[in-house]
Amino acid sequence: MKALQIAATGMAAQQTRVDVISNNIANMSTTAYRPRVAEFSDLMYQQYMTPGTITSQVGTVVPAGIQIGTGVRPSTVSMTVAQGTMSQTGGELDLAIDGSGFLEITLPSGEAAYTRDGKLSRNPEGEIVTMDGYPLADGVVIPNDARRISIGRDGEVTAYFDNEPDGQSIGQISLVRFVNEKGLEASGDNLFKQTSASGDPERLVPGVDGVGVLRQGYIEDSAVDVVKEISDLIEAQRGYELNSKVITAADEMLAATTRLR
Amino acid sequence: MSSAIYVQLARQEGLVKEMNTIANNLANSSTTGYRSDQGVFAEYVVGRSGSADSLSMGVLGGHAFSEMPGALKMTGGTFDLALQGDGYFLLETDRGQRLTRAGHFQLNADGELVDPFGNRVLAEGGNPITFPQGASDIRFGSDGIISAGDFIVDRLAVVEPEGNMRRDGASYFEAPGGFAPTGTNGVTQGALEQSNVSTVLEVSRMIEVQRAYEFGQALLEREDQRVDQVIQMTRER
Repeated sequence: MKALQIAATGMAAQQTRVDVISNNIANMSTTAYRPRVAEFSDLMYQQYMTPGTITSQVGTVVPAGIQIGTGVRPSTVSMTVAQGTMSQTGGELDLAIDGSGFLEITLPSGEAAYTRDGKLSRNPEGEIVTMDGYPLADGVVIPNDARRISIGRDGEVTAYFDNEPDGQSIGQISLVRFVNEKGLEASGDNLFKQTSASGDPERLVPGVDGVGVLRQGYIEDSAVDVVKEISDLIEAQRGYELNSKVITAADEMLAATTRLR
Repeated sequence: MSSAIYVQLARQEGLVKEMNTIANNLANSSTTGYRSDQGVFAEYVVGRSGSADSLSMGVLGGHAFSEMPGALKMTGGTFDLALQGDGYFLLETDRGQRLTRAGHFQLNADGELVDPFGNRVLAEGGNPITFPQGASDIRFGSDGIISAGDFIVDRLAVVEPEGNMRRDGASYFEAPGGFAPTGTNGVTQGALEQSNVSTVLEVSRMIEVQRAYEFGQALLEREDQRVDQVIQMTRER
Protein backbone atom coordinates (compact mmCIF):
# COMPACT_ATOMS: atom_id res chain seq x y z
CA MET A 1 0.00 0.00 0.00
CA LYS A 2 1.84 3.08 -1.30
CA ALA A 3 -0.68 5.38 0.37
CA LEU A 4 1.19 4.81 3.65
CA GLN A 5 4.49 6.18 2.32
CA ILE A 6 2.75 9.00 0.44
CA ALA A 7 0.95 10.13 3.59
CA ALA A 8 4.25 9.88 5.48
CA THR A 9 5.86 12.35 3.05
CA GLY A 10 2.85 14.61 3.64
CA MET A 11 3.34 14.44 7.41
CA ALA A 12 7.06 15.12 7.04
CA ALA A 13 6.32 18.16 4.87
CA GLN A 14 3.86 19.60 7.39
CA GLN A 15 6.41 18.89 10.12
CA THR A 16 8.99 20.96 8.20
CA ARG A 17 6.44 23.74 7.94
CA VAL A 18 5.80 23.67 11.70
CA ASP A 19 9.57 23.79 12.31
CA VAL A 20 9.93 26.86 10.07
CA ILE A 21 6.93 28.58 11.70
CA SER A 22 8.18 27.87 15.23
CA ASN A 23 11.56 29.35 14.34
CA ASN A 24 9.81 32.46 13.01
CA ILE A 25 7.73 32.84 16.17
CA ALA A 26 10.80 32.27 18.35
CA ASN A 27 12.46 35.14 16.47
CA MET A 28 9.55 37.56 16.73
CA SER A 29 11.73 39.94 18.77
CA THR A 30 15.04 39.38 17.00
CA THR A 31 16.45 42.58 15.53
CA ALA A 32 16.05 42.73 11.74
CA TYR A 33 14.94 39.08 11.51
CA ARG A 34 13.26 38.15 8.24
CA PRO A 35 10.67 35.37 8.40
CA ARG A 36 11.28 32.20 6.39
CA VAL A 37 8.62 30.46 4.32
CA ALA A 38 8.59 26.76 3.42
CA GLU A 39 7.41 25.93 -0.08
CA PHE A 40 6.54 22.45 -1.34
CA SER A 41 6.41 20.63 -4.62
CA ASP A 42 5.06 17.24 -5.66
CA LEU A 43 7.37 14.26 -6.18
CA MET A 44 7.89 12.21 -9.32
CA TYR A 45 4.93 10.42 -10.84
CA GLN A 46 4.77 6.71 -11.48
CA GLN A 47 3.59 6.26 -15.05
CA TYR A 48 1.31 3.21 -15.29
CA MET A 49 0.11 4.30 -18.70
CA THR A 50 1.70 7.32 -20.39
CA PRO A 51 -0.70 9.84 -21.92
CA GLY A 52 -0.33 9.80 -25.67
CA THR A 53 0.15 6.03 -25.91
CA ILE A 54 -1.35 4.81 -29.20
CA THR A 55 -4.29 2.50 -28.56
CA SER A 56 -5.40 1.52 -32.05
CA GLN A 57 -4.24 1.16 -35.61
CA VAL A 58 -6.06 4.32 -36.64
CA GLY A 59 -3.93 6.28 -34.24
CA THR A 60 -6.21 6.99 -31.30
CA VAL A 61 -4.26 7.89 -28.21
CA VAL A 62 -4.75 7.67 -24.47
CA PRO A 63 -5.83 11.19 -23.50
CA ALA A 64 -4.74 11.32 -19.88
CA GLY A 65 -3.05 8.05 -18.99
CA ILE A 66 -2.57 6.73 -15.49
CA GLN A 67 -0.04 8.57 -13.39
CA ILE A 68 0.10 8.12 -9.65
CA GLY A 69 2.06 10.57 -7.58
CA THR A 70 4.47 9.54 -4.87
CA GLY A 71 4.07 12.38 -2.40
CA VAL A 72 5.48 15.76 -1.54
CA ARG A 73 8.80 17.29 -0.54
CA PRO A 74 9.92 20.72 0.63
CA SER A 75 11.26 22.61 -2.40
CA THR A 76 12.64 25.66 -0.64
CA VAL A 77 12.70 27.46 2.68
CA SER A 78 13.24 31.01 1.56
CA MET A 79 13.68 34.26 3.38
CA THR A 80 10.95 36.83 2.78
CA VAL A 81 12.47 40.15 1.83
CA ALA A 82 10.34 42.23 4.16
CA GLN A 83 11.13 45.41 6.01
CA GLY A 84 10.54 45.28 9.75
CA THR A 85 9.18 48.31 11.55
CA MET A 86 11.66 50.80 13.02
CA SER A 87 11.93 51.32 16.76
CA GLN A 88 13.45 54.46 18.09
CA THR A 89 16.17 53.76 20.63
CA GLY A 90 18.07 57.03 20.62
CA GLY A 91 21.33 55.08 20.71
CA GLU A 92 24.17 56.90 19.03
CA LEU A 93 25.40 53.80 17.24
CA ASP A 94 22.01 52.17 16.58
CA LEU A 95 21.52 51.98 12.84
CA ALA A 96 18.48 50.79 10.94
CA ILE A 97 18.58 50.18 7.20
CA ASP A 98 15.51 51.70 5.57
CA GLY A 99 15.30 49.80 2.29
CA SER A 100 17.50 47.09 0.86
CA GLY A 101 21.12 46.40 1.70
CA PHE A 102 23.34 44.94 4.40
CA LEU A 103 26.14 46.16 6.62
CA GLU A 104 29.41 44.36 5.96
CA ILE A 105 31.35 43.12 8.94
CA THR A 106 34.64 41.27 9.27
CA LEU A 107 34.69 38.03 11.22
CA PRO A 108 37.72 37.14 13.39
CA SER A 109 38.74 34.70 10.62
CA GLY A 110 39.03 37.63 8.23
CA GLU A 111 35.99 36.41 6.29
CA ALA A 112 33.25 38.88 5.38
CA ALA A 113 29.72 38.52 6.74
CA TYR A 114 26.63 40.62 6.20
CA THR A 115 23.94 41.75 8.60
CA ARG A 116 20.96 44.05 8.92
CA ASP A 117 21.26 44.12 12.69
CA GLY A 118 22.46 47.66 13.36
CA LYS A 119 22.76 47.43 17.13
CA LEU A 120 26.35 48.60 17.14
CA SER A 121 28.74 49.84 19.77
CA ARG A 122 32.29 51.04 20.11
CA ASN A 123 35.17 48.86 21.29
CA PRO A 124 38.24 50.07 23.29
CA GLU A 125 40.13 50.74 20.04
CA GLY A 126 37.35 53.01 18.84
CA GLU A 127 36.15 50.66 16.14
CA ILE A 128 32.43 50.29 15.45
CA VAL A 129 31.51 46.68 16.31
CA THR A 130 28.41 44.46 16.46
CA MET A 131 27.06 43.03 19.73
CA ASP A 132 29.41 40.07 19.20
CA GLY A 133 32.40 42.40 18.84
CA TYR A 134 32.94 41.95 15.10
CA PRO A 135 34.04 45.22 13.48
CA LEU A 136 32.35 46.90 10.52
CA ALA A 137 34.37 46.36 7.36
CA ASP A 138 34.35 50.10 6.61
CA GLY A 139 37.07 50.58 9.22
CA VAL A 140 35.72 53.75 10.78
CA VAL A 141 37.65 54.56 13.96
CA ILE A 142 36.07 56.95 16.44
CA PRO A 143 38.60 59.24 18.14
CA ASN A 144 38.74 58.88 21.93
CA ASP A 145 37.96 62.50 22.61
CA ALA A 146 34.90 62.64 20.35
CA ARG A 147 31.96 64.06 22.28
CA ARG A 148 29.22 62.97 19.92
CA ILE A 149 28.89 60.93 16.71
CA SER A 150 26.44 61.65 13.98
CA ILE A 151 25.73 59.23 11.13
CA GLY A 152 23.95 60.66 8.13
CA ARG A 153 21.39 58.94 5.95
CA ASP A 154 24.13 58.53 3.35
CA GLY A 155 26.44 56.82 5.86
CA GLU A 156 28.74 59.78 6.45
CA VAL A 157 30.15 59.56 9.99
CA THR A 158 30.83 62.90 11.65
CA ALA A 159 32.53 63.34 15.02
CA TYR A 160 32.00 66.42 17.22
CA PHE A 161 34.65 67.52 19.69
CA ASP A 162 34.62 69.86 22.67
CA ASN A 163 35.47 73.48 21.86
CA GLU A 164 34.80 72.91 18.15
CA PRO A 165 31.42 73.95 16.78
CA ASP A 166 31.88 72.15 13.45
CA GLY A 167 32.02 68.40 13.18
CA GLN A 168 34.76 66.53 11.47
CA SER A 169 34.14 63.76 8.97
CA ILE A 170 35.85 60.56 10.12
CA GLY A 171 34.65 58.06 7.55
CA GLN A 172 31.84 56.52 5.62
CA ILE A 173 29.62 53.49 6.31
CA SER A 174 28.57 51.78 3.10
CA LEU A 175 25.87 49.28 2.35
CA VAL A 176 26.25 46.06 0.40
CA ARG A 177 23.65 44.72 -1.97
CA PHE A 178 23.25 41.31 -3.62
CA VAL A 179 21.41 40.43 -6.81
CA ASN A 180 19.70 37.52 -5.02
CA GLU A 181 19.40 38.25 -1.30
CA LYS A 182 17.44 35.04 -0.81
CA GLY A 183 20.51 33.11 -1.89
CA LEU A 184 22.55 34.28 1.13
CA GLU A 185 23.47 31.64 3.67
CA ALA A 186 22.16 32.39 7.15
CA SER A 187 24.85 31.51 9.65
CA GLY A 188 23.13 32.48 12.90
CA ASP A 189 23.81 35.52 15.10
CA ASN A 190 21.88 37.62 12.51
CA LEU A 191 24.76 37.09 10.06
CA PHE A 192 24.66 36.07 6.44
CA LYS A 193 27.39 34.81 4.15
CA GLN A 194 27.83 35.09 0.42
CA THR A 195 27.12 31.99 -1.71
CA SER A 196 27.34 31.26 -5.41
CA ALA A 197 23.54 31.73 -5.55
CA SER A 198 23.56 35.20 -4.01
CA GLY A 199 25.97 36.77 -6.49
CA ASP A 200 28.85 39.08 -5.65
CA PRO A 201 28.41 41.88 -3.14
CA GLU A 202 27.96 45.34 -4.62
CA ARG A 203 29.20 48.08 -2.30
CA LEU A 204 27.19 51.29 -2.46
CA VAL A 205 26.81 54.60 -0.70
CA PRO A 206 23.47 54.46 1.21
CA GLY A 207 20.64 56.06 -0.73
CA VAL A 208 22.38 55.78 -4.10
CA ASP A 209 21.07 53.63 -6.94
CA GLY A 210 18.05 52.23 -5.10
CA VAL A 211 19.84 50.91 -2.01
CA GLY A 212 18.42 51.78 1.43
CA VAL A 213 19.37 54.67 3.66
CA LEU A 214 20.70 54.58 7.23
CA ARG A 215 18.76 55.91 10.18
CA GLN A 216 20.69 56.71 13.28
CA GLY A 217 18.97 56.12 16.62
CA TYR A 218 16.65 53.42 15.31
CA ILE A 219 16.83 49.66 15.03
CA GLU A 220 14.81 47.46 12.70
CA ASP A 221 12.39 45.10 14.46
CA SER A 222 11.72 41.56 13.41
CA ALA A 223 9.51 41.40 10.31
CA VAL A 224 7.59 38.39 11.68
CA ASP A 225 3.83 38.82 11.48
CA VAL A 226 2.70 36.69 14.42
CA VAL A 227 -0.97 36.55 13.36
CA LYS A 228 0.03 35.20 9.96
CA GLU A 229 2.39 32.69 11.54
CA ILE A 230 -0.29 31.40 13.90
CA SER A 231 -2.81 30.98 11.09
CA ASP A 232 -0.15 29.11 9.09
CA LEU A 233 0.52 26.98 12.14
CA ILE A 234 -3.15 26.00 12.39
CA GLU A 235 -3.14 25.13 8.69
CA ALA A 236 0.01 23.02 9.07
CA GLN A 237 -1.43 21.21 12.09
CA ARG A 238 -4.65 20.36 10.22
CA GLY A 239 -2.60 19.20 7.24
CA TYR A 240 -0.62 16.92 9.53
CA GLU A 241 -3.83 15.46 10.99
CA LEU A 242 -5.31 14.87 7.54
CA ASN A 243 -2.23 12.94 6.44
CA SER A 244 -2.34 10.84 9.59
CA LYS A 245 -6.00 10.01 8.78
CA VAL A 246 -4.83 8.66 5.42
CA ILE A 247 -2.38 6.40 7.25
CA THR A 248 -5.20 5.11 9.46
CA ALA A 249 -7.45 4.46 6.46
CA ALA A 250 -4.70 2.70 4.51
CA ASP A 251 -3.87 0.64 7.58
CA GLU A 252 -7.50 -0.46 7.94
CA MET A 253 -7.55 -1.45 4.27
CA LEU A 254 -4.44 -3.55 4.84
CA ALA A 255 -6.09 -5.10 7.91
CA ALA A 256 -9.10 -6.03 5.78
CA THR A 257 -6.74 -7.78 3.35
CA THR A 258 -5.00 -9.75 6.09
CA ARG A 259 -8.33 -10.93 7.44
CA LEU A 260 -8.79 -12.86 4.17
CA ARG A 261 -7.58 -16.38 4.23
CA MET B 1 -12.88 -20.69 -10.55
CA SER B 2 -15.62 -18.25 -9.78
CA SER B 3 -15.61 -15.12 -11.97
CA ALA B 4 -17.01 -13.10 -9.08
CA ILE B 5 -13.60 -13.30 -7.40
CA TYR B 6 -11.81 -11.93 -10.48
CA VAL B 7 -14.29 -9.11 -10.96
CA GLN B 8 -13.99 -8.09 -7.32
CA LEU B 9 -10.19 -8.40 -7.40
CA ALA B 10 -10.02 -5.94 -10.31
CA ARG B 11 -12.15 -3.55 -8.28
CA GLN B 12 -9.94 -3.97 -5.19
CA GLU B 13 -6.82 -3.21 -7.20
CA GLY B 14 -8.45 -0.09 -8.60
CA LEU B 15 -9.44 1.02 -5.11
CA VAL B 16 -5.84 0.73 -3.88
CA LYS B 17 -4.67 2.97 -6.75
CA GLU B 18 -7.47 5.40 -5.98
CA MET B 19 -6.33 5.45 -2.35
CA ASN B 20 -2.76 6.23 -3.46
CA THR B 21 -4.09 9.12 -5.53
CA ILE B 22 -6.06 10.50 -2.59
CA ALA B 23 -2.99 10.15 -0.35
CA ASN B 24 -0.95 12.08 -2.92
CA ASN B 25 -3.58 14.82 -3.13
CA LEU B 26 -3.72 15.20 0.64
CA ALA B 27 0.08 15.14 0.93
CA ASN B 28 0.13 18.01 -1.57
CA SER B 29 -2.59 20.07 0.08
CA SER B 30 0.02 22.77 0.84
CA THR B 31 1.95 22.57 -2.44
CA THR B 32 1.94 25.84 -4.39
CA GLY B 33 0.23 25.51 -7.77
CA TYR B 34 -0.66 21.81 -7.27
CA ARG B 35 -3.49 20.40 -9.35
CA SER B 36 -5.56 17.69 -7.68
CA ASP B 37 -5.70 14.32 -9.37
CA GLN B 38 -8.60 11.95 -9.86
CA GLY B 39 -8.76 8.41 -11.23
CA VAL B 40 -11.30 7.63 -13.93
CA PHE B 41 -12.64 4.09 -13.97
CA ALA B 42 -13.77 2.36 -17.13
CA GLU B 43 -15.45 -0.89 -17.99
CA TYR B 44 -13.16 -3.59 -19.32
CA VAL B 45 -14.99 -6.43 -21.09
CA VAL B 46 -13.39 -9.85 -21.30
CA GLY B 47 -14.79 -12.44 -23.67
CA ARG B 48 -14.91 -15.96 -22.24
CA SER B 49 -13.71 -18.82 -24.37
CA GLY B 50 -16.33 -21.35 -25.45
CA SER B 51 -19.17 -19.19 -24.30
CA ALA B 52 -21.27 -16.38 -25.68
CA ASP B 53 -21.25 -14.34 -22.47
CA SER B 54 -18.59 -11.96 -21.48
CA LEU B 55 -17.29 -10.66 -18.21
CA SER B 56 -17.26 -6.98 -17.34
CA MET B 57 -14.66 -5.59 -14.97
CA GLY B 58 -14.00 -2.11 -13.70
CA VAL B 59 -10.43 -0.95 -14.17
CA LEU B 60 -8.60 2.32 -13.77
CA GLY B 61 -8.77 3.75 -17.26
CA GLY B 62 -7.07 7.07 -16.85
CA HIS B 63 -6.32 10.06 -14.70
CA ALA B 64 -7.62 13.56 -14.91
CA PHE B 65 -6.43 16.56 -12.99
CA SER B 66 -8.70 19.32 -11.88
CA GLU B 67 -8.13 22.64 -13.66
CA MET B 68 -10.05 24.48 -10.99
CA PRO B 69 -8.05 27.50 -9.85
CA GLY B 70 -6.60 27.33 -6.34
CA ALA B 71 -7.10 30.17 -3.87
CA LEU B 72 -4.58 33.00 -4.06
CA LYS B 73 -2.51 33.65 -0.98
CA MET B 74 -1.07 37.14 -0.66
CA THR B 75 2.61 37.07 0.23
CA GLY B 76 3.78 40.48 -0.93
CA GLY B 77 6.93 39.00 -2.48
CA THR B 78 8.25 40.88 -5.52
CA PHE B 79 8.85 37.66 -7.44
CA ASP B 80 5.83 35.72 -6.13
CA LEU B 81 3.51 35.42 -9.12
CA ALA B 82 0.11 33.82 -9.54
CA LEU B 83 -2.04 33.37 -12.61
CA GLN B 84 -5.71 34.13 -12.43
CA GLY B 85 -7.66 32.19 -15.01
CA ASP B 86 -6.08 29.85 -17.55
CA GLY B 87 -2.47 29.60 -18.58
CA TYR B 88 0.89 28.38 -17.29
CA PHE B 89 4.33 29.86 -16.72
CA LEU B 90 7.02 28.48 -19.01
CA LEU B 91 10.28 27.11 -17.58
CA GLU B 92 13.47 25.88 -19.16
CA THR B 93 14.71 22.65 -17.53
CA ASP B 94 17.44 20.21 -18.47
CA ARG B 95 14.68 17.86 -19.67
CA GLY B 96 13.12 20.46 -21.97
CA GLN B 97 10.52 23.15 -21.52
CA ARG B 98 8.00 22.61 -18.74
CA LEU B 99 4.78 24.34 -17.71
CA THR B 100 3.91 25.26 -14.14
CA ARG B 101 1.38 27.18 -12.09
CA ALA B 102 3.74 27.50 -9.12
CA GLY B 103 5.04 31.06 -9.29
CA HIS B 104 7.43 31.11 -6.34
CA PHE B 105 10.32 32.66 -8.25
CA GLN B 106 13.51 34.48 -7.30
CA LEU B 107 16.63 35.86 -8.93
CA ASN B 108 19.83 33.88 -9.33
CA ALA B 109 23.36 35.26 -9.08
CA ASP B 110 23.22 36.39 -12.73
CA GLY B 111 20.01 38.37 -12.18
CA GLU B 112 17.86 35.84 -14.06
CA LEU B 113 14.36 34.93 -12.89
CA VAL B 114 14.42 31.30 -11.70
CA ASP B 115 12.16 28.87 -9.82
CA PRO B 116 13.15 27.19 -6.49
CA PHE B 117 15.05 24.50 -8.41
CA GLY B 118 17.11 27.06 -10.33
CA ASN B 119 15.31 26.50 -13.65
CA ARG B 120 14.93 29.67 -15.69
CA VAL B 121 11.55 31.29 -16.23
CA LEU B 122 11.13 32.16 -19.89
CA ALA B 123 9.92 35.35 -21.52
CA GLU B 124 7.56 35.63 -24.45
CA GLY B 125 10.45 35.30 -26.89
CA GLY B 126 11.64 32.04 -25.29
CA ASN B 127 14.64 33.75 -23.69
CA PRO B 128 15.45 33.86 -19.95
CA ILE B 129 14.36 37.02 -18.13
CA THR B 130 17.40 38.96 -16.98
CA PHE B 131 17.15 41.94 -14.66
CA PRO B 132 19.84 44.60 -14.94
CA GLN B 133 22.17 45.02 -11.97
CA GLY B 134 20.52 47.09 -9.26
CA ALA B 135 17.04 47.02 -10.81
CA SER B 136 14.54 48.38 -8.33
CA ASP B 137 10.81 49.02 -8.20
CA ILE B 138 10.13 45.81 -10.13
CA ARG B 139 6.53 45.39 -11.28
CA PHE B 140 4.78 42.59 -13.15
CA GLY B 141 1.77 43.92 -15.05
CA SER B 142 -1.37 41.81 -15.34
CA ASP B 143 -0.50 41.22 -19.02
CA GLY B 144 2.96 39.92 -18.04
CA ILE B 145 4.90 43.10 -18.81
CA ILE B 146 7.88 43.33 -16.45
CA SER B 147 9.17 46.76 -15.61
CA ALA B 148 11.88 48.13 -13.35
CA GLY B 149 11.05 51.75 -12.68
CA ASP B 150 10.36 53.33 -16.08
CA PHE B 151 12.32 50.67 -17.95
CA ILE B 152 10.58 47.68 -19.60
CA VAL B 153 12.58 44.52 -18.90
CA ASP B 154 10.66 41.90 -20.84
CA ARG B 155 7.32 40.19 -21.09
CA LEU B 156 6.57 36.98 -19.21
CA ALA B 157 5.50 33.99 -21.31
CA VAL B 158 2.07 32.67 -20.35
CA VAL B 159 1.15 29.62 -22.41
CA GLU B 160 -1.71 27.24 -22.88
CA PRO B 161 -0.99 23.57 -23.73
CA GLU B 162 -2.21 22.08 -26.97
CA GLY B 163 -3.60 18.67 -26.17
CA ASN B 164 -3.07 16.86 -22.91
CA MET B 165 -0.32 17.26 -20.40
CA ARG B 166 1.79 14.83 -18.45
CA ARG B 167 2.78 15.46 -14.86
CA ASP B 168 6.50 15.61 -14.33
CA GLY B 169 6.90 16.12 -10.57
CA ALA B 170 8.16 19.32 -8.91
CA SER B 171 4.84 20.98 -9.89
CA TYR B 172 5.87 20.75 -13.56
CA PHE B 173 3.77 19.66 -16.48
CA GLU B 174 5.06 18.43 -19.78
CA ALA B 175 3.07 19.29 -22.90
CA PRO B 176 3.89 16.63 -25.51
CA GLY B 177 1.55 18.29 -28.01
CA GLY B 178 3.27 21.65 -27.69
CA PHE B 179 1.84 24.90 -26.36
CA ALA B 180 0.79 28.27 -27.62
CA PRO B 181 1.01 31.70 -26.03
CA THR B 182 -2.23 33.00 -24.58
CA GLY B 183 -3.22 36.60 -24.24
CA THR B 184 -3.47 36.60 -20.46
CA ASN B 185 -4.60 39.39 -18.25
CA GLY B 186 -4.26 37.49 -15.03
CA VAL B 187 -0.65 37.81 -13.84
CA THR B 188 -0.79 38.82 -10.18
CA GLN B 189 2.31 39.98 -8.37
CA GLY B 190 2.77 39.36 -4.65
CA ALA B 191 0.52 36.31 -4.51
CA LEU B 192 0.90 32.54 -4.82
CA GLU B 193 -1.71 30.12 -6.03
CA GLN B 194 -2.38 27.51 -3.39
CA SER B 195 -3.04 23.86 -4.05
CA ASN B 196 -6.53 23.31 -5.49
CA VAL B 197 -7.04 20.18 -3.39
CA SER B 198 -10.35 20.29 -1.54
CA THR B 199 -9.49 18.51 1.69
CA VAL B 200 -13.15 17.91 2.61
CA LEU B 201 -13.79 16.25 -0.74
CA GLU B 202 -10.63 14.15 -0.50
CA VAL B 203 -11.36 12.95 3.01
CA SER B 204 -14.90 11.93 2.09
CA ARG B 205 -13.54 10.13 -0.99
CA MET B 206 -10.99 8.45 1.24
CA ILE B 207 -13.69 7.13 3.59
CA GLU B 208 -15.71 5.95 0.61
CA VAL B 209 -12.73 4.10 -0.86
CA GLN B 210 -11.83 2.54 2.45
CA ARG B 211 -15.36 1.28 3.09
CA ALA B 212 -15.73 0.04 -0.50
CA TYR B 213 -12.48 -1.87 -0.08
CA GLU B 214 -13.61 -3.47 3.20
CA PHE B 215 -16.95 -4.32 1.65
CA GLY B 216 -15.10 -5.90 -1.28
CA GLN B 217 -12.97 -7.99 1.04
CA ALA B 218 -16.11 -9.22 2.82
CA LEU B 219 -17.59 -10.13 -0.55
CA LEU B 220 -14.46 -12.08 -1.49
CA GLU B 221 -14.63 -13.88 1.84
CA ARG B 222 -18.27 -14.85 1.34
CA GLU B 223 -17.55 -16.03 -2.20
CA ASP B 224 -14.70 -18.11 -0.82
CA GLN B 225 -17.05 -19.66 1.75
CA ARG B 226 -19.60 -20.37 -0.95
CA VAL B 227 -17.06 -22.21 -3.10
CA ASP B 228 -15.90 -24.06 0.01
CA GLN B 229 -19.48 -25.16 0.76
CA VAL B 230 -19.90 -26.45 -2.79
CA ILE B 231 -16.74 -28.53 -2.43
CA GLN B 232 -17.93 -29.89 0.92
CA MET B 233 -21.31 -30.81 -0.53
CA THR B 234 -19.82 -32.67 -3.50
CA ARG B 235 -17.53 -34.61 -1.16
CA GLU B 236 -20.42 -35.74 1.05
CA ARG B 237 -22.25 -37.32 -1.87
